Amino acid sequence: MYDMEGVIRENLLVCQDFYRCKIELARPMGKVIPGQFIMLKIPSAEVFLRRPFSIYDCGKQTVTILYKAVGKGTRALTSAGRKERVMVLGPLGHGFRVHQGYTPVLVAGGIGIAGLHLLWKQVKRKACFFYGCSTEQEVPLLGGIDFNTRGRTATGTRQTCGDLSSEHGQPDTPVIEPRVCTLDGSTGFCGNVVQLLKSSLSLVGEKPYVYACGPQPMFASLKALLAEKEVPCQVLVEERMACGLGLCFGCVKKTLDEAEPYKRACVEGPVFDLWQLSL
Amino acid sequence: MATLFVDLFGKTLRNPVMNASGTLGYGREIDPLWSVDTLGAYVTKGLSLKPHHGNPPPRVWEEGRGMLNSIGLQNVGLKRFFAEHFPLFRKRNTPIVVNFFGFTDEEYIECAASIEPDPLIVALEINLSCPNVTKGGICMGKEARGVFSIIKRVKETTPIPVIAKLTPEVADIVEIAQAAVSAGADGITLINTMPGAAIDLGTGRMAFRGGLSGPALKPIALKAVADVSRAVPVPVIGAGGIMDHEDAIRFLMAGARAIQVGTATFIDPFAIPKILAGLAAFMDEHGLSRLSALAGATHD
Repeated sequence: MYDMEGVIRENLLVCQDFYRCKIELARPMGKVIPGQFIMLKIPSAEVFLRRPFSIYDCGKQTVTILYKAVGKGTRALTSAGRKERVMVLGPLGHGFRVHQGYTPVLVAGGIGIAGLHLLWKQVKRKACFFYGCSTEQEVPLLGGIDFNTRGRTATGTRQTCGDLSSEHGQPDTPVIEPRVCTLDGSTGFCGNVVQLLKSSLSLVGEKPYVYACGPQPMFASLKALLAEKEVPCQVLVEERMACGLGLCFGCVKKTLDEAEPYKRACVEGPVFDLWQLSL
Repeated sequence: MATLFVDLFGKTLRNPVMNASGTLGYGREIDPLWSVDTLGAYVTKGLSLKPHHGNPPPRVWEEGRGMLNSIGLQNVGLKRFFAEHFPLFRKRNTPIVVNFFGFTDEEYIECAASIEPDPLIVALEINLSCPNVTKGGICMGKEARGVFSIIKRVKETTPIPVIAKLTPEVADIVEIAQAAVSAGADGITLINTMPGAAIDLGTGRMAFRGGLSGPALKPIALKAVADVSRAVPVPVIGAGGIMDHEDAIRFLMAGARAIQVGTATFIDPFAIPKILAGLAAFMDEHGLSRLSALAGATHD
């Protein structure tokens, strides 16, 4: 892990409030494990602390983030132009630990896709992918994902709310194409991504292992769904952070460890075992 | 080449730069980036007799040129600190200042009594800014009489030098510092975070309450250091929004014997080594051989 100088090479609007920012680094970042993150010094006098971003993609000397403009920091970042200088601390935290002998099932909600994209690149040959967002306007967030859709569009075919079997002629065949759902039903399955997963879990093959990233309520419903079937699951959490290095104890998540319930998302996470989190 | 050595409570520290309590984890988190022996002394996270869970998230909030925190004093407890974390400082031969707190007077006394003197322990730093359960939850550092009695009892308990870390949320910080010194405090750390709040404009909701740190706090801290260091005969350690070596020099000029860096490290994890390098370069540039040449150099 290093604190590296970087130069913004692209900072593009992907759709709605979502942007993709590619940074060229002054030196190689070193080995990145999917799920790890960076602390970015945003080039604006208005922004005081660094901000954490999942590593969406990385090259030998580049790092790309996908972000939603929601607060002061991310809004300021949208106006950072090409050639602007930034500082990048990373890679940070514990990423996903991929377990062999299972079918990886990736479940992303909204901007949570930013934290799963790199893992998808690593395991896509044998994995399933479920993506949920609010409306079809957010579907371009999948743009960077190299879908193995066998001729289908990345968004899947439009279908009736709750009805998945009609799209899939052979329910016994493991689903390997990425599946999309929208809350308003404007594209793909109508509902949230956990409902989508529920309707498809029997299709994903034997021994599923879920890797998820999304908003906190998603984890609670994921836990309820997976508990029945005792499916192992790792989740990538988000929390407000100050240092990213474990120095301040500002970014904790509550776990079931009674002796020490609050664990730092930046060093003990940001990937946690779902079954160890208190939701 | 200037030397940065500084004398504190009969010990010689390599330099006057410490971390502020709770801003450098247990030390092991920063050690892979730069060795903890870079510090003049490491100040522990606030430790208590028993482990303390701290507050639920969110615990941090950016506000203007500063941040609010409400960590809630999460810590592993004194016993585990010395078993699990102190060995790193032994290995690195790095002096430490043990910051501790309690929720009752008795807990403070028990904490102080449980800490065995060690050549590496420079001092105990008492956090006087937490709510006292036995006194209706009021912060014990806000009242001169309370400060006097707790410091006096701690001093009777331990042979280790005692530093009082004071809250700025008081009418007259000089009066509080004088009470601490007359009770036997060997040094004063100024200042702790200042309680603050943030409001969400959209909802009107009080979005966050916590202690303010960072550059927003600096002028308040500088005044406290200047006023108190003129009024008491013991060393003052300055803290509050020190972001670079120029800030550090200002605190030394104001009368601080040593300084503590906190929030700056969150923004730049190398802030402390950079401040040290800047400090040495400044002294060379100005032909100063010892830090004492800066001491209290400020004037009206």
